[in-house]
Amino acid sequence: MIHRILRARGTSRSSTDEVASQAAVRLEDVTHEYGGRGRFGSSRERSVTALEEVTLTVDTGEIVGLQGPSGSGKSTILHAVSGLLVPTSGRVELLNTDLSERSDRERTRLRRTHVGIVFQRFHLLPSLSARANVALPLVQAGIPKPARRKRASELLESVGLADRTTHLPGELSGGERQRVAIARALASDPDVLVADEPTGELDTETGRSVLELLTTVGRNRAVLVASHDSETLAVTDRVVSLADGRIIDDGRSGRSNTPSS
Amino acid sequence: MSASGFYVRLCAVVGIAIAMLRRSPGRTTLSVVAVALAVLSVTLLSGLGVGVVAMGEDGLEASAQDIWITGDPVDPSASGTQNPIVGTHEVAATVAAHDDVRATAPIAMHDIYIGAEPDDLERRPSVGIPQTHSRFEFEAGGGFDTVDDIDENGRAADPTAEEIVLDPAIATSLDVDVGDTVYVGASRERADYEFTVVGTSSYYSQYLGSETVTIPLNDQQALAGTTGTDRATFITATLADDADPDTVEAELSDAHPEYDVRTSDDQVSAFLEERPLVIASGVTLVALAVLGGVVLTTNLFALVAAQQRDELAALRALGLSRRLLAATLGVQGVIIGLLGGLVGLLLTPVAVAGLNSLSQSVIGFDSILRTPPEVYAAGFGLAIVVGSIVAVITGFRAGRYARIEHLRHG
Repeated sequence: MIHRILRARGTSRSSTDEVASQAAVRLEDVTHEYGGRGRFGSSRERSVTALEEVTLTVDTGEIVGLQGPSGSGKSTILHAVSGLLVPTSGRVELLNTDLSERSDRERTRLRRTHVGIVFQRFHLLPSLSARANVALPLVQAGIPKPARRKRASELLESVGLADRTTHLPGELSGGERQRVAIARALASDPDVLVADEPTGELDTETGRSVLELLTTVGRNRAVLVASHDSETLAVTDRVVSLADGRIIDDGRSGRSNTPSS
Repeated sequence: MSASGFYVRLCAVVGIAIAMLRRSPGRTTLSVVAVALAVLSVTLLSGLGVGVVAMGEDGLEASAQDIWITGDPVDPSASGTQNPIVGTHEVAATVAAHDDVRATAPIAMHDIYIGAEPDDLERRPSVGIPQTHSRFEFEAGGGFDTVDDIDENGRAADPTAEEIVLDPAIATSLDVDVGDTVYVGASRERADYEFTVVGTSSYYSQYLGSETVTIPLNDQQALAGTTGTDRATFITATLADDADPDTVEAELSDAHPEYDVRTSDDQVSAFLEERPLVIASGVTLVALAVLGGVVLTTNLFALVAAQQRDELAALRALGLSRRLLAATLGVQGVIIGLLGGLVGLLLTPVAVAGLNSLSQSVIGFDSILRTPPEVYAAGFGLAIVVGSIVAVITGFRAGRYARIEHLRHG
């Protein structure tokens, strides 16, 4: 089933072939501060430095884990890579495109086309079936309903949920919901997959199967996984350690796949 | 954006909106009820306004009088001290001389004192007219005709016909029937005259808003002491079938510049113009009803947007545009508006029937609420407006909530 996705991906990546052998994601001296300005431009709100001069590269086919305590900047990196935020300074490149030079609309389009996101809490629409949730990202692209349904059904089948297509999220287990979320993240056949604590809400057994799925579908993509969980980080090719918004170990100096708990 | 892409997105947005509404039936029902109540308020209050005006117009039309002549804007609650026309019979004769005028009839208003016993009198408004007509629809007995009396007897200083038509409620209050005698006077202390009850009818009561008696104009003037000046409130004129009321009105206005000459339609308009407080009250009630519906519904939907902010933020993160997210919630507002509008319109005739039945039994007014198609259109228009406002507000809220701050930070 999973191989079907990979096959499908192989036939539909013409737009990104030119960057396939390059770094899919590149952060250069990225600093980001939250706050610093209160309402109406006042300076009452204290600023918090979430990232400080972070430089990081993720190649296509590489699975990179981000580890560090809460507030260390893991999610901020994921948001920056996804174009959900523009850092205060520095440069974020997605497939050789400098996101900081792009408008919000352009970043949204790039994200929709090239980035798949998996959340810790799934964030599925409770009123829509699993298939409709998976098909959601395709709505924006204006893909007709029959094609959306077909694509969503194939993706659900590939994550082992062929018999759950019409179920509402509330009728699914935690593991099944995360599989639906992964299928949704793959809907646009993205080049980059980011996952924020993908097993955080799952038991060990279920988390393991989700990780297996994530590593399989991420094989031909650049994957960033933020997690506290050592078992999750163990499946990555490289673990980047963060503290107070700084990278303290980029995982290239012999420490990859040996995360500290 | 291609047309097909837009259509695909629109269909998807509508589908998602319907799914979200179906997912929360309690909240959806509350919102629909809120809009329906706002619509119902508008249709009922508008229906009341239309009904009041229509009753006035019907009354004027039923009186078969095309032209109304008076000295001041009409005040139906005025006492006899405000009969502005002097030399009524002479003016009426002059008006009747116009080629297009078929007949004229003066009407005077004056409060008199009446009782079943001469020492137990109560004040009641009276209408003085030369003769009653078929539109009185007498509950008992009949009317009077003193036209010839006036012509033959001239201006008598005392009542001569001494006949009276009572409102049925007054007859009940006095415990008198047709053929009985009632005592009538110009003050509470003295009842100088004995009138015979010739009939009971609420014809004038329904226009004046209080229980009224009807007596011959000549007798009323004698009671009021205005026989010499020959005062009246109105002189009405019935026109020939092919006459143009506006033309006749203009010609009579030229001939009698000291008086206000109006067509029936103008008379209703003048009546309403003299009552800005009534109109302002009606408009305020409608506005408050609309505002209440809008506030209630938008509050509900703002709450919905707040509850869904995590999902909205996630969808935004997945690449859905703010516009699409706003449309997803906005369409819910439009659907709520449409459903609430339909429910409100369906309930309107039921409520109107109930309220009309109630008004008939309590105050004796039949069909006081009337709902022509324009009233329904106004109600449905309101529903669309409410839906649109809700759509705009919730769409705005959706855009506001679709931020990464609502996703988890690490």
